[in-house]
Amino acid sequence: MTGITDALAPVSTALLRRARLDADALLDAAGDDAARTLAAARRTAQDMIDEARESGTAEARARADAVRVRAGRHARGIELAARREVLLELRRRAVAAVLALRDDPCYPRLVERLRELARESGGADLIVREHPDGGVVGEGRGLRVDCSLGALAGRAVDALGAEAERLWAR
Amino acid sequence: MTSWAPVEYTDVAELRGPLIVVRGVRGVGWDEYASIELETGQRRHGLVLEADRDLAVVQVFEGTAGLRAEGIRVAFAGCPLRIPVGAGWLGRVCDGRGRPLDGGPPVFGTADAAVTGFPLNPTRREPPSEPVLTGVSAIDALTTLVRGQKIAVFSSGGLPHLELAAQIAAQAHTDGTPFSVVFAAIGLTHADAATVRDTLEERSAAGELTLLLNLADDPVIERVLTPRLALTVAEHLAFVLGRHVLVVLADMTSYCEALREVSSARGEIPARRAYPGYLYSDLASLYERCGRVPGLPGSVTVLPVLTMPAGDITHPVPDLTGYITEGQILLTRDVPVYPHIDPLSSLSRMMRAGVGPGRTRPEHMDLAAQILAALARARQAAELAEIVGEGALGDTDRRYLAMADAFTRRLLGQRRDEARSLDETFARAWKVVSVLPRRELSMLSPAALDAGYREGLDAGHREET
Repeated sequence: MTGITDALAPVSTALLRRARLDADALLDAAGDDAARTLAAARRTAQDMIDEARESGTAEARARADAVRVRAGRHARGIELAARREVLLELRRRAVAAVLALRDDPCYPRLVERLRELARESGGADLIVREHPDGGVVGEGRGLRVDCSLGALAGRAVDALGAEAERLWAR
Repeated sequence: MTSWAPVEYTDVAELRGPLIVVRGVRGVGWDEYASIELETGQRRHGLVLEADRDLAVVQVFEGTAGLRAEGIRVAFAGCPLRIPVGAGWLGRVCDGRGRPLDGGPPVFGTADAAVTGFPLNPTRREPPSEPVLTGVSAIDALTTLVRGQKIAVFSSGGLPHLELAAQIAAQAHTDGTPFSVVFAAIGLTHADAATVRDTLEERSAAGELTLLLNLADDPVIERVLTPRLALTVAEHLAFVLGRHVLVVLADMTSYCEALREVSSARGEIPARRAYPGYLYSDLASLYERCGRVPGLPGSVTVLPVLTMPAGDITHPVPDLTGYITEGQILLTRDVPVYPHIDPLSSLSRMMRAGVGPGRTRPEHMDLAAQILAALARARQAAELAEIVGEGALGDTDRRYLAMADAFTRRLLGQRRDEARSLDETFARAWKVVSVLPRRELSMLSPAALDAGYREGLDAGHREET
């Protein structure tokens, strides 16, 4: 029995060595594979972290932008509303100043001039009456010419054009 | 000039829909601007659609609801609508007729101009040159906008053309020279208008943008005026104040539908798909207002955006627009990432005049041609792969597929709030072509390849994929 074992010893040694080598190779391959998988997993994780960081940064920036945009619009809205208010105030004061002309000694001459103006525009057959708030209104067949003081003041403010911007120019 | 005693007509023969028929008028002409005063003192406005002897048909912007024929006074301006022009428009948000929507006073200007305007005299027109950079890679690299050019964005319902138009308007610049944007939003829903307004807020606050918002529920006659108003504002900014101006008109299909409605109200004979027969010349009268004038520093570049009904590029609106504009940027659902630009169907005919040494990059034209040629080859390879399977393709064809993929991911795909510099766009473009082996890049000069080609990216990409 011992003789057979001894006789097979080189074979078993060779087999054992081969098996060890195979096992080592397998272990190495598994180790490499594990290292590759780990590296790939690390890369994927890093990519995911980068992507998440990028998208998080983009989202945070977008939110901050939205807040800034809203605040900017609000501030600009206040400024523009103030400008409009100033312009309306100018219109109110212009109308008041023009209506005050009714107490001016020259008012009858002004009314006469307005009558002429209305007739020049609407025709000589225009029936021209004085407006209760000052100025005149001419009426003819299918047409009307408004030269009341309020309307004239409004037209004067409209005619200012870009000059009105001096109200808020720095 | 102010008329101190304007004549108001009170004899209204008929009120019909949005129309008022006024009798007994003298010297009133077609397209004249009219103001209508109600008994309550409220004022509405309109345009003369038709004038015949002593009758004038006025289309009222705000409609005739609540009007009584007896209580109306109609005054005619004696000329078509004029608006003040000047730098006062910058930073303002107005409706389609130029009335403020931002809570501010009316817009004032140093001069006034008729909104109908005129196309540039062809003998006093300088060819477009120098680029307008949009910060959108696919446009800057492959279909560069050139100052003074007219180039359309063709899209279909459901695609983000409005977002793209707003992004371009928010980001575009001319590299340091004075630049402004006039954005005419035509027939937009309230939600879309709010989005556009948010996107453009920063530029508006910086005093570089005019936003005209004509909403879907605004009167159609106002929609016909909106692009004209935008161009009138732009012309003054460009040719008097010396700025480069980009005019974005979105969406021109809404404009054309409004024109169809107005034409129908005028009783005109309808032509193709009921659009008026003069649709082509009407569109040309808008688009041809862009350009450059010798001796003047500014330019007007027009970017009309239009949706093709049912995606039909032969529909009269895209069809006629395509005849007039100098190229198109086509959006398609086939491209899966924003901005959904189809590079092979998009073209800027003036690109050669706007790119190259001293303008963008010396190799720009060749690089763009190389990318397009490679994408065309990749499309063929993809068609082949559908039949034989990708595994049966040769290595070169697989590289082309990888290059097309890299193009979509690295160059074309972009966030809606991402402004890419020209340097970044070129860096990305070189990375994309570097996926191909150097021997395939026959359109690029050896010097350009030495400077831009990234050795090793091709192999790297192959491993990745």
